[in-house]
Amino acid sequence: MSSKQGNNRNRIKRLAIYSLLCSLCIVFGYVEFLIPTSLIAPGIKLGISNSIAILLLINGDIGGAFAVNISRILLSALLFGSPFSLLFSLCAGIVSTLVCALLIKLPALSPIGVSVAGGVCHNAVQVFVASFVVGRGVWFYLPILTVAGVICGAAIGFLGIVFSKKAKIDF
Amino acid sequence: MKILKKTDVILSISLILISVLGFFIVELMKKDGKTVVVKQNNSVVYEGKISEDREIPLKHNTVKIKDGKVFMKCADCKNQICVKSGKISKSGETVVCLPNRVIIEIE
Repeated sequence: MSSKQGNNRNRIKRLAIYSLLCSLCIVFGYVEFLIPTSLIAPGIKLGISNSIAILLLINGDIGGAFAVNISRILLSALLFGSPFSLLFSLCAGIVSTLVCALLIKLPALSPIGVSVAGGVCHNAVQVFVASFVVGRGVWFYLPILTVAGVICGAAIGFLGIVFSKKAKIDF
Repeated sequence: MKILKKTDVILSISLILISVLGFFIVELMKKDGKTVVVKQNNSVVYEGKISEDREIPLKHNTVKIKDGKVFMKCADCKNQICVKSGKISKSGETVVCLPNRVIIEIE
């Protein structure tokens, strides 16, 4: 009985922390909106909220990273986006989180490398989806987006490491 | 936990190198266009060879073809984005004037 109670308490704590992180992600989305990165090249975003997924992955919580990232994408599409933007960000979000979750197991890569790979995959998937919607022409945009993915990914990975040093999440 | 490992640097640099290479391949793959198509309100108003120099006056815009390159010479719209977008000559490139719904395409 007591173990079941403890289990329940743990689950509630988990839910509360995930919800907190999810709302933090949405605030990050707004902060990102204030930084005019799309002036450098159209469509480029920092993706600060992915640092939360990196934070969870550093803690070894793959399920949590998926839960927070996917609910963050759904919520921000509901609040600010359109069905189209949901399709783009959901596909890219799922694939990049999956890649990060696999790569974090590699001892050779630090979270920065994992985040770089995730960022590049995210952009590649978006171009892939866009090629169905807009046409083959968008593939020409991939090289620029890949460089952006490497730079933003490194920054986000570093941010994730900083977060993991500051915030102790234990269940 | 080490913040940056050797593999991270190798991964990042190789990704950047691949995309720089990709960028040059994309630039090389662009072929010189042959025909100029001008559309207004989604209907074709002019179609002709890019090698023939000429000026095409439209209601609100003037399109100019010169030395195998096409550009919007002038437009009466406020933003002048189409005029500023410069000369195009490669297949698939476009100049768009959204306020007047004019598109120049190269095929």
